[in-house]
Amino acid sequence: MFFELITCFLLLIGAIFSFIAALGIVRMPDLFTRMQAAAKTGTLGVGCTILAVATFFGDIGVATRAGLVILFLFLTSPIAAHMIARAGYISGVALWSGSVTDEMRDQYDPVTHHLSSEPRKKSDNDSQMLGM
Amino acid sequence: MTLTVSFQIVPFTAMLTLNIFAIAMIFAMVRLLRGPSLADRVVALDLVAALAVGVIAVYAILTEQPMLLRAGIVVALVIFVGTVAFAMYLEKRAKP
Amino acid sequence: MRMFVANLFLALIWAMITEGFTIGQLGVGFVGSYFLLWFLRPLVGGSVYFLKMWQVVTFSIFFIKELIVANLRIAYHVITPSSFFKPAVLAVPLEEMSDLEATLLANVLTLTPGSFSVDLSSDRRVLYVHVMDADDPDAVRQQIKDQYEKPLLEVLR
Repeated sequence: MFFELITCFLLLIGAIFSFIAALGIVRMPDLFTRMQAAAKTGTLGVGCTILAVATFFGDIGVATRAGLVILFLFLTSPIAAHMIARAGYISGVALWSGSVTDEMRDQYDPVTHHLSSEPRKKSDNDSQMLGM
Repeated sequence: MTLTVSFQIVPFTAMLTLNIFAIAMIFAMVRLLRGPSLADRVVALDLVAALAVGVIAVYAILTEQPMLLRAGIVVALVIFVGTVAFAMYLEKRAKP
Repeated sequence: MRMFVANLFLALIWAMITEGFTIGQLGVGFVGSYFLLWFLRPLVGGSVYFLKMWQVVTFSIFFIKELIVANLRIAYHVITPSSFFKPAVLAVPLEEMSDLEATLLANVLTLTPGSFSVDLSSDRRVLYVHVMDADDPDAVRQQIKDQYEKPLLEVLR
């Protein structure tokens, strides 16, 4: 009974967070804020659901497999999100107009050879940054 | 004959969860269709696949078949490779 | 590493001699044998392992807490109108670190509140991070360095 209650709790938490991820992907204004919603809440939502499978069966084989899926999810989904964000930035997706600063724009040259990003163009600025 | 009121809480919650997942998937599909840039669509597709893994997990509970978890592993693996390939393609296409 | 294998072995023995080979028994056995080995430190040695294990456990608990906080904050941002946040892309200078460490740091940053790693400069000295609330960029930068980079490097080295 106790494990059943935990299963229900985890299922509901997972479903609610997945729903928030989907809502965020519709409501957020630009690619990067959307990715924040999708990467964080999506990962936790699906992770909770798989944890619910582990608590429901309570079997060591299923629990090990569920643990592996969760580990895999937590390692790969940020990497996938990071790669899409990078590709989106390179292919010129604009930030939302409400964004405060974009410290990446000066470091990245879009027209020429695409040396993905340099540390800093001005040397005095560089030493100041790294000495912080 | 004894009256057995069998309100099983886990299948009920699982059904509820499946419905929530279905609505979430519809929202993700909206972004998939509307997305202004290709990257937005890829994000939406990634989320749809993550939700599909969640649905498979809930289905494993509902049908009491732990074997279904392996299908979830396969979907997660395939979609990760697919997303990375798509990101590579986007980067390649942006570069002259 | 040798101590970890010993710890796991003792946990397996515990799970076998108790009734029912479940994941809970394995966990109880692991914690119990950890304290057993800690108690027998003068005999078996390996004090580095205990410190590392403690750091890993502390960092994991901290990470799970941060993950939940991050999700609640994202939920708040999703539900409230979008004029409530000020996103920005910030440059965060990094310490010297290997590929694996940089990857793990980027992953941890992506899953913790308000930050999302976008790109790493080609010489691996600056990580570009998209943050949700950039009222004070320098404070955010300092917070990322103090709260996530330093403990992660402590655990991994």
